[in-house]
Amino acid sequence: MLKTKLAASAAIVSLLLGNSVLAESDKDIDILRTEIQNMKQVYEKRIADMEAKLVGVQKKRNQTSVSNGKKVPITSTRRIFNNSFNPSIGLILNGTYSNFSSGSSEIPGFGIGEEGERGKEGAAIGESEMNFSASVDDKFYGSLTSAIVREDGSDIIELEEAYLQSLPGLGLPTGLSLKAGRALWTLGYLNEHHAHTDDFADRPLTHRAYLNKAYNDDGLATSYVLPTNFYSEIGGGVYRADDFPFGTGDGENTAWSAYARIGGDIGNNQSWRLGGYLLSGDSKSTGRKSNEDAVIFLGESDLYVTDLRYVWAPTGNARDKEVIFQTEYFWRSEDGTYQDTENSTGIVDFDDSSDGLYVQGVYKFAPRWRAGLRYSRLFPADVPTGLVGSNLDSANFDPRAYAVMMDWTNSEFSRVRLQYNHEKLKDGQTDKQFMMQYVISIGAHGAHKY
Amino acid sequence: MRLFKIILIGLFCVTSNVAHSMVNIFACEPEWEALAKEIGGGKVKTFSATHAMQNPHYIRARPSLINKAVKADIIFCSGAGLEVGWLPLLLQKASGSVQPGTEGYLMASDFVKVLEKTMVADRTMGDVHPEGNPHVHLNPHNIFLVAKELTKRLELIDATNKSFYRSRFNSFTLRWRESINQWEKNSSDLKGMQVVVHHKTFSYLIDWLELIEVASLEIKPGIPATASHLEGLLQQFKTKSPDAIIRTPFDPGNSSIWLSEKINSPAIVLPYTINGDASSVDLFALFENSINLLKGAMND
Repeated sequence: MLKTKLAASAAIVSLLLGNSVLAESDKDIDILRTEIQNMKQVYEKRIADMEAKLVGVQKKRNQTSVSNGKKVPITSTRRIFNNSFNPSIGLILNGTYSNFSSGSSEIPGFGIGEEGERGKEGAAIGESEMNFSASVDDKFYGSLTSAIVREDGSDIIELEEAYLQSLPGLGLPTGLSLKAGRALWTLGYLNEHHAHTDDFADRPLTHRAYLNKAYNDDGLATSYVLPTNFYSEIGGGVYRADDFPFGTGDGENTAWSAYARIGGDIGNNQSWRLGGYLLSGDSKSTGRKSNEDAVIFLGESDLYVTDLRYVWAPTGNARDKEVIFQTEYFWRSEDGTYQDTENSTGIVDFDDSSDGLYVQGVYKFAPRWRAGLRYSRLFPADVPTGLVGSNLDSANFDPRAYAVMMDWTNSEFSRVRLQYNHEKLKDGQTDKQFMMQYVISIGAHGAHKY
Repeated sequence: MRLFKIILIGLFCVTSNVAHSMVNIFACEPEWEALAKEIGGGKVKTFSATHAMQNPHYIRARPSLINKAVKADIIFCSGAGLEVGWLPLLLQKASGSVQPGTEGYLMASDFVKVLEKTMVADRTMGDVHPEGNPHVHLNPHNIFLVAKELTKRLELIDATNKSFYRSRFNSFTLRWRESINQWEKNSSDLKGMQVVVHHKTFSYLIDWLELIEVASLEIKPGIPATASHLEGLLQQFKTKSPDAIIRTPFDPGNSSIWLSEKINSPAIVLPYTINGDASSVDLFALFENSINLLKGAMND
């Protein structure tokens, strides 16, 4: 087999060699010459034709611009896409310098998660966020936001959001959309916004106590903008019940939410939105851990939220002057057991409710300057006898906080803020907090959510 | 639960009756709403997301806009990044037939020659978009090109009224061409007029009338004027003052007025869009008034 192959290739090689030897004869060279000559003629003719055409086009163009005194634009058919990069990439850098007068900042009467504690004292960078997002195709949109945070002395990556959202191309009824994955779910005003877009350097007491800053569980949610004559939207979802205020999920727990909201304009320069939300779920297996795992809640909790936002641009132009009023009210009912291992309470039955609210106003008095005031307050539940003296004992004191801030926005992409908080979370303890913050955004142009 | 269902069904009944005898046009800016009315007449229902006192780059996706966008058959905007801060949020909720690439998605800047396209857009240059200057409507020739495209789209979306749109377009074209001729004749003495602008909102008008933009009050697009920048302008105009300082109704007036008093050039507010002043009620009046205001300032 091998021998015959070798013989065949040897024959081919000799044939080729023979040909090249023959090609050297004068006859062949003449043939090649004439061929090249022919090709040259053909190309020269083509070039001449093209030149003639070009002159014609130039003449035409001159004629049209002469016939019209003014500049007439030419139609452009170039399609311009929103994203010059796919996916669009955005970076958020933010940092604070904080000074606190009080050594501690627990909120007695509530089990507070790690994110619900006040920020770090001294100079510290906040969550540095990276966002990648793009329309996957005509049917889906994908977005991923991760935050790099410092926890227990090392920098770790936290996945804030990673979701897929249906696009209108999917063919669902107009106004209906689905979202799956991990996201800052629709629950009141602040929860679905990233903290760097907030009007204050920290979140109000309601979000610290009830949501550990924000609820971003894994799940599936839907929303539907109703075809009414004014804005109205309903929605809801099911979640893993892994994130605060629920237990660490083993996949058997579930949580669900539902909401409805309406909104509209008042005249040309005012708008508003009002919403009602419910988030309900179990903390059954490991329970809701708080106060550095010392406090554990096992059972069911229902969280009801209402929010109202009102925006007024006195001159019509929000760039210039703007007044924003915003409030959220939280009411939580819990049925289960609490245990505070720090104070060795043992397991104590708990079936009660608590509530809280914040009210804030922000006034943009010049294109780059804004000032704001915020008041937040919590109304803890009555303490059962078994929990007296524990972290869950509010001693009949309502935690409250006042905040005043002023910020300067150089462009849509940079903001510097000063804030002073006056917090009374415990009877006889006042925490005076001074904060300086910068928020920088690099990359994709963010959208202005309502 | 039952009550909830009844309410839902009720809502559908109320709304489905109103919808769909007319083409719903969601315009991002008043100029496009005006053009939609010119071509669509009584067969379209128009809405403008912004009004003349608003800077269309800086509005929010407020609830009422979401409601209107969901019902839109055509979304008609300037494009080129002008609405980048809010339109994408609305499009996510809107119907499949107004998404980019479809007949219901009409961005004016896709159909005209866009000025000031930059190859490199660095944020140190201010809020510059590489797509170019989006304020395309202030050249009347662009209005014509966009009208032509809008007519095409209306004919596709509402085929039963095809001849209606065509005849309105023809009538508009006739009147518009005539007006353009008139304006171009009337404004020949404006050629070479030196203007200071507040922001690059008038580039197309300047280009069309062949004015000369000598300075901008904003340091860079989107970055407001500072005292030192204004001081610099004062030095620049020491020897020769510009003919006018122009701004839109939504630009803050203080720096214009300050400079005007110092260098003795008139500071004027051009209507910029429909209802930008009391008499600019349609596209014809908008250009008419803009030219007259410039001429007034020139002869001042």
